Amino acid sequence: MKKPVIEFKDFSFRYKSQTKETLKNINLTIYEGEKVLLLGPSGCGKSTLAHCINGLIPFSYDGEIKGSCKIASLEIVQSSIFQLSSQVGTVLQDSDAQFVGLSVGEDIAYALENDNMPREEMIPRVYESAKMVDMHEFLNHVPYDLSGGQKQRVALAGIMHDDVKILLFDEPLAALDPMMGNDAIDLIDRIYREQKKTVVIIEHRLEDVLYRHVDRVILMQDGQIIADMTPDELLLSHLLKDNGIREPLYITALKNAGCQLQPGHISNVYDIDLEPYRQQLIEDFQQTLPSQPQQQQEVVIEVKDLSFGYNAHQNVLEHVSFDIHKGEKIAIIGKNGAGKSTIAKLLCGILRPTHGQILLKGQDYMQYSIKEIGEMIGYVMQNPNQMIVKDMIKDEVALGLMLHGYSKQEIDENVEEALKMCNLYSMRNWPVSALSYGQKKRVTIASILAMKPDVMILDEPTAGQDYRVYTEIMTFLDQLNKEYGITILFITHDMHLAIEYTDRAIVFSEGTCIGDDSVFKILSNEDIIQRAHLKETSLFTLAKRIGLPCDEFTEHFIEHERMNRHE
Amino acid sequence: MNNFIINLIPGETFLHKLSGTTKVRLFFVLIVYLIMSFDLRLIVPVLILGIIGLISLKPKLKSVRYIIIFVVVMNLVNILLYYLANPHLGMLYFGHETIWFQFTDHYIVTYEEVWFLLSRFLKMIASFLISLDFILAITPSEFAAGLYSCKVPYKICTIVEMAFRYIPDIARDYQNIKVSMQARGVELDPKKTGLIKRIKQNILILIPLVITSFDRIGNISNAMDLRGFGKGKKRSYYSEHGETPNDRKVKVVYILLGIFVVAYIIGRVFFNVSEVWYPF
Repeated sequence: MKKPVIEFKDFSFRYKSQTKETLKNINLTIYEGEKVLLLGPSGCGKSTLAHCINGLIPFSYDGEIKGSCKIASLEIVQSSIFQLSSQVGTVLQDSDAQFVGLSVGEDIAYALENDNMPREEMIPRVYESAKMVDMHEFLNHVPYDLSGGQKQRVALAGIMHDDVKILLFDEPLAALDPMMGNDAIDLIDRIYREQKKTVVIIEHRLEDVLYRHVDRVILMQDGQIIADMTPDELLLSHLLKDNGIREPLYITALKNAGCQLQPGHISNVYDIDLEPYRQQLIEDFQQTLPSQPQQQQEVVIEVKDLSFGYNAHQNVLEHVSFDIHKGEKIAIIGKNGAGKSTIAKLLCGILRPTHGQILLKGQDYMQYSIKEIGEMIGYVMQNPNQMIVKDMIKDEVALGLMLHGYSKQEIDENVEEALKMCNLYSMRNWPVSALSYGQKKRVTIASILAMKPDVMILDEPTAGQDYRVYTEIMTFLDQLNKEYGITILFITHDMHLAIEYTDRAIVFSEGTCIGDDSVFKILSNEDIIQRAHLKETSLFTLAKRIGLPCDEFTEHFIEHERMNRHE
Repeated sequence: MNNFIINLIPGETFLHKLSGTTKVRLFFVLIVYLIMSFDLRLIVPVLILGIIGLISLKPKLKSVRYIIIFVVVMNLVNILLYYLANPHLGMLYFGHETIWFQFTDHYIVTYEEVWFLLSRFLKMIASFLISLDFILAITPSEFAAGLYSCKVPYKICTIVEMAFRYIPDIARDYQNIKVSMQARGVELDPKKTGLIKRIKQNILILIPLVITSFDRIGNISNAMDLRGFGKGKKRSYYSEHGETPNDRKVKVVYILLGIFVVAYIIGRVFFNVSEVWYPF
């Protein structure tokens, strides 16, 4: 008889500040030693459910609880967060905020410190935990020198001390590049097997989590559990599409080719038995789809042999050259520290090249001030909260124009147009605080569009967003590009974004440009994938296993998807 | 990334290797010692110790040079103003004046005045050097542990530690926001905009900074709660090593010094011991 460790019975929760219940009538049992994925779009209540498991509800978040929730036989209403935290270890989404110590060792020791454990006992235990996640050689490192993946490992080590029964991962992939994401899923799997813990992963990126085996997937929507099944069963159903979760790409490819999926090992692209589908895939591939021929337009930005260093000894970027044509959609790819954000700052004129040239429409841009460049190249930050300074949507969009000294009439005209382009016109007098994340993102884009730039640079436009918001933002940007001919540069490490929404990728690694080609070609180059911390997409794996050319197969897939989107 | 003179990882010199408790206690005793008098016989030895301490810590000259120059210059200005405000301080403290030379009827320079201002200046410099040594020698975690050893509640100690942990993160956010605002046309170049306007522009950057920082604080406090912060009345510190022989030696020094400080203050309050010393 399996022992239940998490038991929700007719459980409902309403936050004090809200009128509606965030969790409605949850019935869920998770047994000891299970590995479970909690899946759902943003706002479905999955984070709230996690807060109930780790005790933040009711400790930090006030609200009304109905029904019963038992964690390791402790009823949450009657136990303290400290009792629960000795049973449940949580790795938060924001691994930076979770890093409260000033060195790796200190952070891992944090829970032990709070237990008032003598230092002599602490030291061997910290070492042991660090070793479990391969961070034992970094004990003296400060958080500022660590990558996102390393910080997450430290966070994991920091919760392994007490005899925690349950490991809870809140969106472990959100802040990681594709390769680190794979490593994280691998590590979670290894710890799960070695330490025999119960593991609960909260994510909306289904395909990435399924890289390693998961026993059960629990799908949530609108505060309710709508499915509780094995990954295979889920993939065979229509539930994913209906609930705004992205299907694994290879599954979509198989479905597009008209294959009837059969049960059995379909949740992993390496294990799936492809024999029944092979013929159909090949036939579908040979059908040509109407593709849109792209005409090369005039060059808007020309980067010539650009080098940049913050000091004379070391260059952050070296000998970078590329052209950007009007109306292109380009992905700028590379791992953290490769020089992606430096190139963006250089293009905006905030930094200036130490060597080489940037030409804007044929003119050397050194003659322009940052302000003047701002009228040609707009820069949209990753986090809209870091950009918005005004209370009213209209004022926020008008800010840039006001700073540039436009006349009242011009401001009104431009603002109106930008708001209309972004479908925000009807909300122009709303306070910004009333908007959702995706809407705020649109406001920041509108505030840049109002300047009528030729080129927009967007830094990770979809980071941390679920598939629905992601699609909303990207479709909107796609329209801007098509209808208004705005050139868009995406700084991203999201490969789905690059594949589906861009024509070309420029890849950076260690300050040099290591690739500049169509996305399909870039992503089928294993050397580039390695150096830029990307990973092979499941489409490539699928194509390889069938024996079709990877880049053409992907291209075919994208054409198909674009057709589907337009229908 | 980390441009502050603050270390996060302890260094290798004698002072670095003392425990946080020792460093904090020694620092407090020395600061009280320096505050309590203007007696140069008491100040000069500590000043010399401060200089030796600074050299022994082997700081990066570049990072401390500016702050030393700045503090010395500010203190020189300070005593100049002191003099301008009242050129008869010597009379006030020593009860007699011997004129050295004279600018005007009011602005005379007396030996007593010079002596007092010199004492004051050296006292300030000594306090600064001791503080600088302390900052260079201690890590924020050791500081927290040291405060805790002086019976300061650990929740307060943690606030100090957290501030150091997140200052660089906030500085990075600030940089990012600044970049995006500049790209939107906020002019921050001192050559092109006046001071008042620049201050206004900087306030524009602060709004999103405060909002993002609040988000972060929420996450941090969750992370702390989840790992049992505030569980018990007591807490231990990973960064605080036990007492070494050197700690014990320094302990003898600060205890003796502490007894002397108490005796001196009692002397000042009850037995009319003078706070200044004039040998001539």
